[in-house]
Parts: sequence; structure tokens; C-alpha cells
Amino acid sequence: MSAAPIEITRLAKRFGTVDAVTDATFSAAPGRVTGFLGPNGAGKSTTLRMLLGLIRPSEGTALILGKHYRDHRRPARLVGAVLDIAGAHPRTTARQHLRTYSALSGVSPKRVDAVLDETGTAEYADRRIGTFSTGMRQRLALATALLGDPEILVLDEPSNGLDPAGIVWLRTFLRAFAASGRTVLLSSHLLGEVEQTADDMVLIDRGRVTRTGSLCDLRSNGKSLEDVFLRATQEGAPL
Amino acid sequence: MKLIHGELIKLVTLRLALWTILLAAACGMLLTGALALIGPENATPPMPGLDTVEGVEIVLGLPAVLLFVPALIGTIAVTSEYRHRTIGTTFLAAPRRGRVLGAKLIVYALLGLTYGIICSAASGVALYVGVAARGVAIPVPVGEIVVPLLQLALAAAVYMVLGVSIGALARNQLVAIAIVLGYFYVLEFVLMMIPGVNSLYPILPGGATASLTSFSFLTDALAEQTSLDAAALASPLAGAGILLAYAGVAGLLATIVPLRRDLR
Repeated sequence: MSAAPIEITRLAKRFGTVDAVTDATFSAAPGRVTGFLGPNGAGKSTTLRMLLGLIRPSEGTALILGKHYRDHRRPARLVGAVLDIAGAHPRTTARQHLRTYSALSGVSPKRVDAVLDETGTAEYADRRIGTFSTGMRQRLALATALLGDPEILVLDEPSNGLDPAGIVWLRTFLRAFAASGRTVLLSSHLLGEVEQTADDMVLIDRGRVTRTGSLCDLRSNGKSLEDVFLRATQEGAPL
Repeated sequence: MKLIHGELIKLVTLRLALWTILLAAACGMLLTGALALIGPENATPPMPGLDTVEGVEIVLGLPAVLLFVPALIGTIAVTSEYRHRTIGTTFLAAPRRGRVLGAKLIVYALLGLTYGIICSAASGVALYVGVAARGVAIPVPVGEIVVPLLQLALAAAVYMVLGVSIGALARNQLVAIAIVLGYFYVLEFVLMMIPGVNSLYPILPGGATASLTSFSFLTDALAEQTSLDAAALASPLAGAGILLAYAGVAGLLATIVPLRRDLR
């Protein structure tokens, strides 16, 4: 049996006396968009950073295709990640930024033009990133994630700063990405946006995963995702 | 190789390589050129003239006073990655952090060496222009001038590695800059003024640099002012060995310590 694209098992992270993530277990399946939903400070970013090897878990495992991110030979060709829109130097241009990271990832520089076109950033590819709007930076972050033509996308609040047209574009892009058999794990605190994009849901609150399942299952009995989310977060206990 | 290639692209796109070359030429030319034109014997306090071997050594060694420049270039380059949060993007592209930092150290050691060679060449040119303008004959053959200039180039490479290492360990740009400037331009001088402790000077980075570059005029002057005996410096070879040891230890720490750090 082949390993799940993303498999998180009993994951925990403690910062000093604060339990940022506790006993989180969930997975993301191929061909589907998995929404990772929770209020601000719920532990979404910490979980994604543990998955990508930027934060060391206190306990548990976070695996990508059965291995830790750092143990993959060419991880950028397997996983593209958008974690932080500030991850580009303001004095470089978008094209220079992408060339740098294509070299560091061991990806052909030919991919630079491809991802610029794919993400609609080609028209400002030679402008300094310091002059970019938040939405332009989000698109550049996504372009960086796509450099390795990955099988899996891990995105932390990717619609932040996007205008309505950008949000629709992102939704269409992610749906098409998943439809090609690839995997998307998408964190957000925007219920409406995730509801329109995701197939499966993982709800997290105060560091604990409170619900997992398909969007259809969560909305059964005529409940809206908002009802489910508010119940899960207000009670602060597993449902 | 891909990591070294990526770091080289960063140097070029951020124009760090260009600024390093310009700063190296300026640092080499300004101090040496000014002193060669004025004449060391006319400085305050007076120094041996350029018609003496000692005077030539002092003038050529003067750019060693500005070795904080390559150290700061290295420090600022690395801490900028944390300041602009590009380090996360870098570690996603290449999650083996030790290799990333190793590549940085190699690239910046080469940049430091480039800085040193350009600074030394500019210093040599400034010396000859200065003495030609004043009509003084240098009592040292060109071949012998090359040696201290190459020693300065080696010291610049080591200082840039030290700067990169301090930046990788401190991460915060202002803190790292304060450590570099505070250590080399405050703490070492303070240590030199404490009786007993000042005997350690030859094995400190500043003392080892003075040994390597044979430039001890400032420390000798300080010893004279404080009536303390100046500790005898090591040989240039020993100085080079001590500096390389510092660079090796700092580089090792810079590649090991960040491995376990969380990047939030």
C-alpha cells in the first residue's frame, strides 16, 4: 500500500509552557483539496511548519509520502509550499527571486517563465518585489511553490491579500490542480472560501484537531460549515 | 553545487558582489593613499617614513584597521535572510540546513578573498601613486610587497567567514552588527588594557590579525599610552593558523546550531 501524500500522526508542539499543537492526527488524500480550518492562533501554521521541517515536533510525526520532508532527495519537486508572503527579498525582481530558488531547488531555470505565466505574474516579473502589493506577493509565493512542478501543495492562508478576481483565480487553480490527481492542503480561517474550494476538512482549535471528514459529512443534518466550525471552536472540546 | 550556484545568484542579484568590490577598492585606496600622500612621518603621532621598510609595512597594513568591513558584509548578508524571512524559502528549497550554511560559508569565504585581493591591490596601487607623487623611493622590492598584501587578503576572507557565522548564530541584524563592531572595536581594546588579560591578545582574533598582517602600530601605540607591556605577537604563520582556527570553529557552530532551531 502506498503512503498517503500527507500523514500527520499524534503531532504535538510545545513552546515553553504553551501547547501550540496537541495530538493532531489527520491526512490529506490525492486528487482532493483538504481544507485546514481554524481560528487565528489555533496551531495551523505551526502544524504546516512541522510538516515542512521548519519546526521540530515535540511529539508525533508529520510525513509526506511516508518520509519526513527533509529526507526526500528533491523535496521541492514533490512539495510546493506557501507559508509566508514575506519570503522574498524586496530588492530583487520576481524573475531574479524565482531564478535563485530554482537553482537552490535543483529545478531547471526554464520553469521560471512557466510559473510566471501559470500564476499571472509575468507582467511584473522584472519589477522589484518591494513595490508589489500583497496580492502580487501572494501570487509570487505560489509561483515559487510551483517551481518544482510538485505533486503536493501546502498553502497557509494563500488568499490573504488577494482581490476577488484573485480569489476566484486561486480557487479555480487549486481545483484544477487537485483534479489532475495531485494533493492540496490549504489552511485558512475564512470559512466561505474554504467551503467553496475544499473537498475534505480538518478543523483545529486551540492546538487540537476537533473534526475531520469530507465537507459533505460535516454538513450533514442540514448544518452549515459555519455551524460546525462555531460549535467546534466555542466548546473547545472534541465533538 | 546547486546550493553554491543559488548563493552566487543571490550575490549578483542583490548587487552584494558589486558593493563588495567597490568597498574593497575604497578601503584599500583611501587609508593607504592618504597616508602615502601625506607621508607617515608627517602624521600625528609621527610614524616611520616611506623610505624605510617599517614605514612601508605600516602603510600597507593600514587597511587591516578596516577588516570589520568584510565581517559586516557577511553579517548583514546572512541576517538579511532572517530579516526578510527568505531563510524559510531557502530551507524549503534545501531542507538540509547544514549544507545550506556550508554553501554560504564557501561562497562568502571566496567573496572575502576577492575583497581582500582587491583591497590589497588598491592599497598597493595607492602606495605607488603616493610615493611617486612625493618623489620618494620605496626601499622594498615589489615581490616583498606582495606578501603582506596576500596576508591581508587571507585575513579578509577569514573576517567575512566570521561575520557570516556571527550572523547565522545571532540572526537578528542589529544584534549581530553590535557583536561584530563591539567585539573587534571595543572589547578587544578593553581587554588589551587589563593587566594580565592583555597577554592573551596574541591569540585573540585581533592579535592574530596583527601577527598575520604584521600591522601592530595601533596596538603598540595603545601599549605605550597605557604604560603596559605589549604582548609579543605570534609569527605571521601562527597568526594565520589562529585566524583559520577561529574561522573553522565559527563556521562549524554556524552550521550546527541552526539545525535544531525552529523557524516560526
